[in-house]
Amino acid sequence: MPEGPAIAQLDLELRHIRKRYGDFVAVNDVSLQVGKGQFVCLLGPSGCGKTTTLRCVAGLEEPDGGDILIGGKEVTGEPPWKRDIAMMFQDFALFPHMTVAKQVGFGLEMLKKPKAQIAARVAEVLKAFEIAHLAERRPSQLSGGQKQRVALARAMITEPRILLLDEPIGALDYSLRETVMLELKALQKRSGISFIWVTHDQNEAFSLGDHVVVMNHAKIEQQGAPDEVLSRPRTAFVAGFIQGNNVFEGKAAAARDGVLEIATVAGPFRVPLLDITAPAPGSVVTFSVRAERLIENPDAAVANRLTLNCVTVEYFGAFRRHVLEGPAGLIVKYDQFGALPQSIREGETVTLGWALDSGVLHRAPGV
Amino acid sequence: MSTIRLRSPAAFWLALPAGLWMLLAVVLPVLLIVWVSLWGGTTVSPNNPITFDNYQRFLSNENYLWLIGDTLLQTAMIMTITGVMGYCIAYFLTVKVTSPGWRLALFLAFVIPFWTSTLIRAIAFVPFLGVNGLLNQALMGIGLIERPIQAFLYSRLGISMAQVSLYTLLASGPVVYMLNSIPPALREAAMTLKAPPIIVFWRIVLPLTLPGIIIGQVLVFLNVLADFITVTTVGGNKLAFLGNLILLFYEGSQIRMTAVVSVLLMLLMLAGVAIALRIVDIRKVGS
Repeated sequence: MPEGPAIAQLDLELRHIRKRYGDFVAVNDVSLQVGKGQFVCLLGPSGCGKTTTLRCVAGLEEPDGGDILIGGKEVTGEPPWKRDIAMMFQDFALFPHMTVAKQVGFGLEMLKKPKAQIAARVAEVLKAFEIAHLAERRPSQLSGGQKQRVALARAMITEPRILLLDEPIGALDYSLRETVMLELKALQKRSGISFIWVTHDQNEAFSLGDHVVVMNHAKIEQQGAPDEVLSRPRTAFVAGFIQGNNVFEGKAAAARDGVLEIATVAGPFRVPLLDITAPAPGSVVTFSVRAERLIENPDAAVANRLTLNCVTVEYFGAFRRHVLEGPAGLIVKYDQFGALPQSIREGETVTLGWALDSGVLHRAPGV
Repeated sequence: MSTIRLRSPAAFWLALPAGLWMLLAVVLPVLLIVWVSLWGGTTVSPNNPITFDNYQRFLSNENYLWLIGDTLLQTAMIMTITGVMGYCIAYFLTVKVTSPGWRLALFLAFVIPFWTSTLIRAIAFVPFLGVNGLLNQALMGIGLIERPIQAFLYSRLGISMAQVSLYTLLASGPVVYMLNSIPPALREAAMTLKAPPIIVFWRIVLPLTLPGIIIGQVLVFLNVLADFITVTTVGGNKLAFLGNLILLFYEGSQIRMTAVVSVLLMLLMLAGVAIALRIVDIRKVGS
């Protein structure tokens, strides 16, 4: 059932996509809009439905319900070869019996372009991807990084509306990943093709995406601009999944002037309600505070405070992470800028606090 | 990657038992046959002179030349039929049947008959194809024919039906292996590059299974060429191919001619394998 007119300027629109395999629900009511030339990252732990969602867009899986629109055109029942997409697979899926040049030209061959035109375009693309010298090689003679370039060139040559990427750099050496990420981001900007990038790596998602979609248990937990998701996780799952968040659980008490009082094992804390309606007193609520937003030895003006015992200090170069233990086994992380002198040592007891607006209240699960 | 290096002592000792066996059980007897095929004279003696007379006599007989041609024709026909059927069965089992339970059941149903010996399977075709056999009764039962068809048994048709059923597994087994080794993502990648299923099959699946097809064809080729049991049992004594000729000469104590036909048959087989190796490098399969 299409609801409302298709918005033509969207590259991709998913409306309430559902997919189940027997009793297992792989995708549950996923809706997404991708504007022209957007870089979208689907982020989530393995089994969360991000790859299945991507495969539904590609036409490799047929959703049980919902609509898929590519460029404003309904394609839900269309097979992959009739959709204006290209896809890059995790292990690149290069054709082992074809040379690089043949492989890269395959998409154009399928579009029935004249031979001379294919040859010229392939040469051009191989040059642009700096793999012209590999033209006559077969996939077995390529390194991981070279395979990645070939797979990308093969997908991009047909200039699809959307490029789908399933963990595209997961198979690469760690040292290569950062370079390739930068290249891909630049390529996406230059080409104006929408990228839908599936990953379980939040660094990839937040550094590349214009729009990040966090999924868990077949559902979208939160989507938005990376800084928005990072600074305002809307659910306990998102807060816990994103590195550097302290997630607290407690019981809601009275709400006054847009501030909710929450009783936790470590004492009462005050968290702004923002746009969330005040939960019923006594109901279980969660909120989070980023590890770098904690303040050492807070003065009286700081709304929330607790006393903790430092268990370990880990040094990550850019920052120093303190793992502290509070009452009833509560674990709190506190990150300090790495260049600052170390102020808390293992075994010491400290008081940490955070300003009222550093606390982020989460939506109740299932709302 | 093997950790045993070529020409190392370990490689030598590991190859020794099989090497000795091959030498004693294959190379020496073959040399013996070649030697006998070149014997002149009329007695059985190691002092016989060496001559090509036997070959000349055999090859100048038009009937024998026809028989060679006929054998090759039969082999080519069986290779074609088992090749197509074997590929279809392999494709169906590995690609189309997606439920693991069904796949196992169908696979076993396909394979278990091949656990019995070729001889028994060949003989089993006699009650199947005979005048009062299962096939005739079934055809009459569904009203397709009124009288039993005699031509099923003791005929070329019968031999061919039996051979197709005997050797389809050989043609399909290597294809199953090759099909299984194609990652599903390759097909999917081709589809997202705008290739419809027929083109995906033609451009991706078929070339990648070609080594399996060739290996299967070699196996069928060798088996049909060497098959005298099916020809004898299902064909009665009405028909003969090269394999039967060897037996006939042997039973007639014509030891020189037996050896000549054996050598010619071996040469044909070698030529077939050589052609197959030119098309596909079998050594690379599975790597």
